[in-house]
Amino acid sequence: MTDLRHRLAQCFSLVFPGLNEPEVYSASSASVAAWDSMAAIILANVIEEEFQVKLDYNVLPDLVSFDLIEDYLKSNGNGTS
Amino acid sequence: MQFREALKTIQENSSTNRPTCRVLLVTGFTPLHLQTFLQAHLQRLLPTKQLVVSTRLYGDLAETLFGIESSTADMCAVALEWPDLDPRLGFRQLGGWGPREIADILVGAESRLVTIRESLAAVPSHVPLAFSLPTLALPPIFHTPSWQLSAAEIRLRNAVGELALRISEKPNIRFINAHSQQVAEPPAPIFDFKGELLAGLPYTSSHADRLGQLLAQILVPAQPKKGLITDLDDTLWAGIAGEIGPQSVSWDLASNTQLHGLYQQLLRALAEQGVLIGVASKNDPDIVEAAFRRNDILLPRDYVFPVEVHWNAKSESVAKILDTWNIDADSVVFVDDSSSEIAEVQAAHPGMECIRFDAQDYAGAHSLLYRLRDLFAKPTITEEDGMRRESLRTGGVFRAGAQQHGASYENFLREAESKITPDFNNAAANRRSLELVNKTNQFNLNGIRYTESEWHSKLSLPGSFSLMVSYRDKYGPLGVIATLVGQATDAALTVNTWVMSCRAFGRRIEHQCLKLLLERFPAPEILLEFAPTKRNGYLREFSESFLGQKPDGPFKLSRTVFLEKCPMLYHQVEMDHD
Repeated sequence: MTDLRHRLAQCFSLVFPGLNEPEVYSASSASVAAWDSMAAIILANVIEEEFQVKLDYNVLPDLVSFDLIEDYLKSNGNGTS
Repeated sequence: MQFREALKTIQENSSTNRPTCRVLLVTGFTPLHLQTFLQAHLQRLLPTKQLVVSTRLYGDLAETLFGIESSTADMCAVALEWPDLDPRLGFRQLGGWGPREIADILVGAESRLVTIRESLAAVPSHVPLAFSLPTLALPPIFHTPSWQLSAAEIRLRNAVGELALRISEKPNIRFINAHSQQVAEPPAPIFDFKGELLAGLPYTSSHADRLGQLLAQILVPAQPKKGLITDLDDTLWAGIAGEIGPQSVSWDLASNTQLHGLYQQLLRALAEQGVLIGVASKNDPDIVEAAFRRNDILLPRDYVFPVEVHWNAKSESVAKILDTWNIDADSVVFVDDSSSEIAEVQAAHPGMECIRFDAQDYAGAHSLLYRLRDLFAKPTITEEDGMRRESLRTGGVFRAGAQQHGASYENFLREAESKITPDFNNAAANRRSLELVNKTNQFNLNGIRYTESEWHSKLSLPGSFSLMVSYRDKYGPLGVIATLVGQATDAALTVNTWVMSCRAFGRRIEHQCLKLLLERFPAPEILLEFAPTKRNGYLREFSESFLGQKPDGPFKLSRTVFLEKCPMLYHQVEMDHD
């Protein structure tokens, strides 16, 4: 498992404490009832702090799953293992 | 605090069996970050509670405020921003910023502030409410350059100030002081323009953290320190009195030693609000007395008690002062210019806050003045605060008198002309009662502390009673020095809160408290919900005098045993309220 995936999973666990580990890695706004617009902003803030990045509000509506966020972070220079 | 840390703090304290403390956060904007930070900061200040910070529908702050009266909130926090007075004072509405609109905005804002004032007036007095006045800059709506206040902006700010002025008369409503030296805005930005436009989130994360912390600190104020022990040479005054003479030490502008004058001035103000000021100095007593006799000294000699001046270790002086004050080291601040003296006292009294007075460090000394104010800060000053210094002095006379009488301590008590005034069922209205409960350690039945709301709920329980006891004798008044709360029926009498000020020890006031209860209520015994704490040994020993052994938990004291073992009481009981 990459360091990025592990750190991102920690962010998800913090924002969605009800998810178990497999659920975290497959999480999406469709599968997680608590993933509403407020939770999306909280998740973005936590990710910003963890990865020292600035997530654009404009891209938040597109970042609707663990995988998509992982891809976004990798494509923005946070793909270190 | 970072946002992740705040979330972790909240998560770590969720789903516990601790009593819940409900906090209502009222804002006109989406309080996402502020809510998280406020909850995290409150959780840290109230670790024995489970904090729940809830919000209402955003957008109508005044309407939500009206709802507080009927809510179950234990505390409230309000963050007012300019758009709450008129949406055109923000960036999310396009209603116009022209001269005509400004005139209309002003009239509307003033009317809105009246509504907010009325809603705040309806907040129950037992619900603490922390209020943050607008923190964000007004939008560029005025015709003057941004560095010049326009008449319209002055009128707007004045209306907000008027709201604060009128509402500040309610003791449960406290305002954040954004101009405080200690909370001066950091260089970090406070307004998130993008967040405001795209998501209705006007605060940067750092500003939400800061504001959340301040609101929490106002809702759960720190217990103020009780006493300050100061060094003299190069601290209370500039110079070594023993070397240059008591007339040559200085504390004025002309001598470039104004820092020491300001320090004296602050200590005097603290003493006048009830803070105990003591002196620990390695010095010649006669020289020190001569310095204190100077007409220009700002801290008069009789404001300082006790004065430990000799050549022994400072920690020894500090120990003697603590013994005289009968308070713990962690309630006291020690100030000295010498790092080695600070280290020596800190090692001997680890709980004490020891602060170095460095007259060469002007910025540090400037901060010190504010820090000392904050360490001793209280929301309100009670009558008892004004009595404390004198009652300690007279307490010394009392103890000396008791020792002189030696074996005839009974004679001494009999001749003390002591008067006790019991006051039943007024503890809810008297802020002193809760203050006493939350700061007393040595004579404290179980160490349980209460928020204002919990205290109010406790006193409102069916069958509850409260007893506040005031004391005076020929040596002077002590004011309200004991509080008892419990439940009473004809068959059972339970006391679950009982505290007494350490200034009142040795006068058999504790015996009189129980006697008053047994006279008031017919129950054959009292259940005292005692719990041992690290510090309530005095009460434990008092209990042993009736039980024959030190209690480890709740115990019953029968009327018969009390009457059999209670020593003679000489107080004259003056019924005041009933």
